[in-house]
Amino acid sequence: MDYDVDVAIMGGGLAGISAAITAANKGLSVIVLERGERSGSKNVSGGRMYIHSLEKLLGNRFRDAPLELPIKKETFEIYTEEKKISFSFENKETENSYSILRSKFDTWFASEAENMGVPVSYSTLVSGIDREDGGLVLRSDRGDIRTPLLIESDGAAAFASRYLGLVKEKQFSMQPVEKLENNPDFMPRQFMVGVKEIIDKKTENTYGEARTILGLSGDIKGGGFSYTNKETTSIGLTLKLDSLEKHKEKAFELIEDFREKLGIEGKLLEYSAHLIPFYRFDSLPPRYADNLMVTGDAAGFLINDGFTIRGMDNAIESGRLAGEAAKKIFDSGDYRDTFIYEQMLEDSFILKDMKAASRISTLFGNERTFDAYPKMMAGIMERMFSVTDNPRENIKDVMRDEVKKNGIGYYTLIEDMLKVI
Amino acid sequence: MELIKRLGLNKNEVGNTSHITVNTDICKKCIDKPCIKVCPAGTYEDDKENGIIVHYERCLECGAALYACPFGALDFKYPEKGVSYIYG
Ligand SMILES: Cc1cc2nc3c(=O)[nH]c(=O)nc-3n(C[C@H](O)[C@H](O)[C@H](O)COP(=O)(O)OP(=O)(O)OC[C@H]3O[C@@H](n4cnc5c(N)ncnc54)[C@H](O)[C@@H]3O)c2cc1C
Ligand code: SF4
Repeated sequence: MDYDVDVAIMGGGLAGISAAITAANKGLSVIVLERGERSGSKNVSGGRMYIHSLEKLLGNRFRDAPLELPIKKETFEIYTEEKKISFSFENKETENSYSILRSKFDTWFASEAENMGVPVSYSTLVSGIDREDGGLVLRSDRGDIRTPLLIESDGAAAFASRYLGLVKEKQFSMQPVEKLENNPDFMPRQFMVGVKEIIDKKTENTYGEARTILGLSGDIKGGGFSYTNKETTSIGLTLKLDSLEKHKEKAFELIEDFREKLGIEGKLLEYSAHLIPFYRFDSLPPRYADNLMVTGDAAGFLINDGFTIRGMDNAIESGRLAGEAAKKIFDSGDYRDTFIYEQMLEDSFILKDMKAASRISTLFGNERTFDAYPKMMAGIMERMFSVTDNPRENIKDVMRDEVKKNGIGYYTLIEDMLKVI
Repeated sequence: MELIKRLGLNKNEVGNTSHITVNTDICKKCIDKPCIKVCPAGTYEDDKENGIIVHYERCLECGAALYACPFGALDFKYPEKGVSYIYG
């Protein structure tokens, strides 16, 4: 088959543009296919970007990026009923993460690739992929593209993997959802949906503030966040799909409530929603196949350990690695053998950090984290900070008592604590 | 803010045909209708006659619908145009 390019990239988000910049730098002919009218127009993050991957990709040029504010203050808040526990951490020196808004950022990022001569084809929806004569044909509303190699960077929904039959969910016979929730093949367990609001509220500080919030998503398992930007404030919830399926509370009602409880006032400027991968480490989708390398959210490279949510730095780094791997595969002449990409991933921080975080995310995935532990901690705090005419209680007794009251077994408690450590 | 107003904040170029289809034979028998519960845009509405009505013009293309229906009744594709976020 005659090919149109050396490598095609499906999706012009963070992973896709990183792959394009890297592959083009190495002299490959590249095309990026993006369904949005421009890069970023379909994309949503919280968002705070840990900057190391962007810096590695672009060197000092990363300073030209339209970042919002460097995050120098972190607050962690747990709400339970009428009580709230919070702790803050400030570091005026650090500039390792920035608040960002994807629509603006991705548009700039894609222009960086375009400035290197990479064609980015916008408003181009890839709607099917066929294998032909040892290569791939991508079907799009703008015609077919023939390529020996595809870098899939199409985000959490991972349509390329679906078209190629690598990802397929099981269909169940009709039954109550309750009966499915513990079934490992029940796909909603592997995803969260993020809902986000942009509020017309400007911070008084010159630096950005990140808040991580647990306990304000009603009965739904999940967490909340807020980041300050230059001109606006971002707030949102990440909600587990399986938990939503079981309850009546809707995402758009929860976020309304969330904003009120946080007490953030200002005009609502935008409401957005996006899927978030939440795979267990040992059940991640395929990362490579013949002629294919999967990057970013499409490969499930998301870390959400309850403290940080990290997908953007993983997307950029996996894109960069796929771009490098593309050159090696091109030189080898065997486009089917993409295993080198997997080896590069294994040596990178991505798989290492995901593995390390997987122990905590099993904690984040369990009921105790959302229910018993916050209640227990609030109970301990309340009793330690209240003074009455009863004799003051000993902290050890208080802790023992609250653990018991909330029905947590000692063995489970120790096990959970070890996961975090 | 009510849902429709909330959705009205976004630029959305809605196509003439739905990018989402449901198999109403299955939906009519569906017990919990989980698609209604997961959608952050209220795209799916309970309906006595058809089981489910799809308001595809509300869709934010988040992709939750791909995994919302465990019974194989829902077919979701991206629309050709659709939503464009200003902030994201
Ligand atoms: C509410 C929320 C909060 C988050 N907060 C954070 C955070 O604070 N920090 C962090 O690091 N991460 C965060 N994440 C995760 C982060 O947004 C993702 O990990 C990141 O966007 C993944 O980048 P990507 O390039 O893999 O995919 P995406 O950014 O989703 O890009 C995929 C691209 O492919 C295009 N595309 C898809 N299908 C097709 C097709 N068929 N044809 C053509 N083009 C297609 C899309 O239009 C898009 O441009 C958050 C996510 C959400 C939803
Ligand atoms: S689409 Fe699926 S979940 Fe929704 S009503 Fe139909 S069968 Fe039930």
